[in-house]
Amino acid sequence: MAKLNINGQHRDVDVSDDTPLLWVLRDVLGLTGTKFGCGIAQCGACTVHVDGKAVRSCLLPVGAIDNRAVTTIEAVGATPAGARVQKAWLDLEVVQCGYCQSGQIMSASALLAMTPHPDDSDIDAAMAGNICRCGTYVRIRAAIKKAAGAQSA
Amino acid sequence: MSRLSRLGAATRYTIIGFGAVAGVLLVVFLWVVLGPGPTDFAGGERVALSAYHGADPTGVPPELARASLVRRGEYLARAADCQACHTAKGGVPYAGGLAFVLPFGTLYSVNITPDKDTGIGSFSDAAFLNALHKGVDDKGVPLYPAMPYASYTGMTDADALAIKAYLFSLKPVHAEVPDNTLFFPFNQRWLMSVWSFLFNPDRRFEPNTQRSAQWNRGAYLAEAMAHCGECHTPRNLAFALDNRSKFSGAVQTGWRAYNITSDRDSGVGAWRDGELAQYLASGHAEGRGTAAGPMGEAVAASFRYLTQGDIAAMVAYLRTVPAVASSDLPAPKVSPAPASHRQGVAAGYDAQGKAIFAGACASCHDWTGVSALSRFATLTGARAVNDPTATNVAQIVISGEVRGTPHGKVFMPSFGHAFSDTEVAAVANYVTARFGARASSITAREVSTLRQAE
Repeated sequence: MAKLNINGQHRDVDVSDDTPLLWVLRDVLGLTGTKFGCGIAQCGACTVHVDGKAVRSCLLPVGAIDNRAVTTIEAVGATPAGARVQKAWLDLEVVQCGYCQSGQIMSASALLAMTPHPDDSDIDAAMAGNICRCGTYVRIRAAIKKAAGAQSA
Repeated sequence: MSRLSRLGAATRYTIIGFGAVAGVLLVVFLWVVLGPGPTDFAGGERVALSAYHGADPTGVPPELARASLVRRGEYLARAADCQACHTAKGGVPYAGGLAFVLPFGTLYSVNITPDKDTGIGSFSDAAFLNALHKGVDDKGVPLYPAMPYASYTGMTDADALAIKAYLFSLKPVHAEVPDNTLFFPFNQRWLMSVWSFLFNPDRRFEPNTQRSAQWNRGAYLAEAMAHCGECHTPRNLAFALDNRSKFSGAVQTGWRAYNITSDRDSGVGAWRDGELAQYLASGHAEGRGTAAGPMGEAVAASFRYLTQGDIAAMVAYLRTVPAVASSDLPAPKVSPAPASHRQGVAAGYDAQGKAIFAGACASCHDWTGVSALSRFATLTGARAVNDPTATNVAQIVISGEVRGTPHGKVFMPSFGHAFSDTEVAAVANYVTARFGARASSITAREVSTLRQAE
């Protein structure tokens, strides 16, 4: 039995400690906005926030989370950075097929929360592990800059 | 007038010269051959097991005293880690076929399942003992010392035969292993009997009466069973272990077996007992990194099955091995790298390595080196990232790691097919610069050599 804090709610889940958080989110709690991609922390589709930091949920055992706060794509819009990122994503119509985009938005939100005015090297360092097969990288970069600009305005 | 003085001066000097060279060669030869044995460093008096009055350092631990012969043999076979070498990559355990790529050709381990045609099913007890103690097969043909019989020779007959009983309880596997491809003169097996004569003491373990029962148990396990020195002790020109620098590290199958002497900076002298025990039992110790490659296999197939008492005995023994410094290995950096990619490594340094790290590594290892996903993936304090040759960093990038641990399966993807030699070198150099005490400068050519060594 694991006690988790997901999107501000306390959740008890009956799984073994080595179950990956992603499985709990999707299969146990029905939070299917977070996607399964590669399963080996190489694609970024499963990114969530743990205490505000972008983490790949496919390899994170629930037993290692303790009472740290988990935020998923379903609730990231309630954070200031997440709200700006989502608006910029809509304004620039970043999404193509969309499968990787919840992970992209989670990584971008964590980046902006830590680094309000990222330059290209900051974006590279934070986003290089999020892969998009549609190749929306140019719009992702533009949207991150737009979201950063929106904050300073 | 002597006969020598009647010769011409030139002839006389030639003879004296030859004599001097022969004398020097003899001294060098004797110095090599008469090097210390594996436990000579401990001094004191050693006696035959039968004359020893302390607790028996051989056999299985007390927990297994009442177990069946086969069960005891299983424990001892694991302690001796027969499986690591006698199993091909992805092959049936103990069916042999693992390749040893050596400078003089390739050797293959043999099938030690009880198959009568291709395995050891027709070995008598005496033949099995001869293989472990004297390094000859059931027909008296010398084995290559890739089979560590110079270590196993310390094993008691009872323990060796328990291992045989375990192996003979396994399902026979009919598996021919490839022929060795050694070139002349190394394909001359009879030469191995010369090697064996010089370097195999052919003596059973002798307890040291001035040391504790725990130390003697540890010595037996480390030397006659786990054969630590076969990887961790450097070899001399004749490929025999040079115990003058016992456990000070060597390169094996393209991986670096690190210095495990008590040297504080380059060895394990700064590790606490508990850290050493945890590392052996689980393959990981907090702030000390994770065993991978051949040591990862040793943990997976051997050490993790040993009792706490036996692990503690090995640690107690290891502690007493004299410190030998490896001048190229700095004291590991113990603090995590900065959270920001901008800090820790100078801007523009190894841009290619940084780009690869950002895309393929940071999501698990983090920019700090402290993994948010698994403590097994934390790089802080690990010897491999504090090795300015970056040998093991490059190796694990190439081959990855999949291993069962007491905490579940841990793994790292292999990138050998995804990245070129240049890319592997770049990311290895970035990793040592970011997380280690001294940056490496491994080259693409060296990476290419490492790929072939495994």
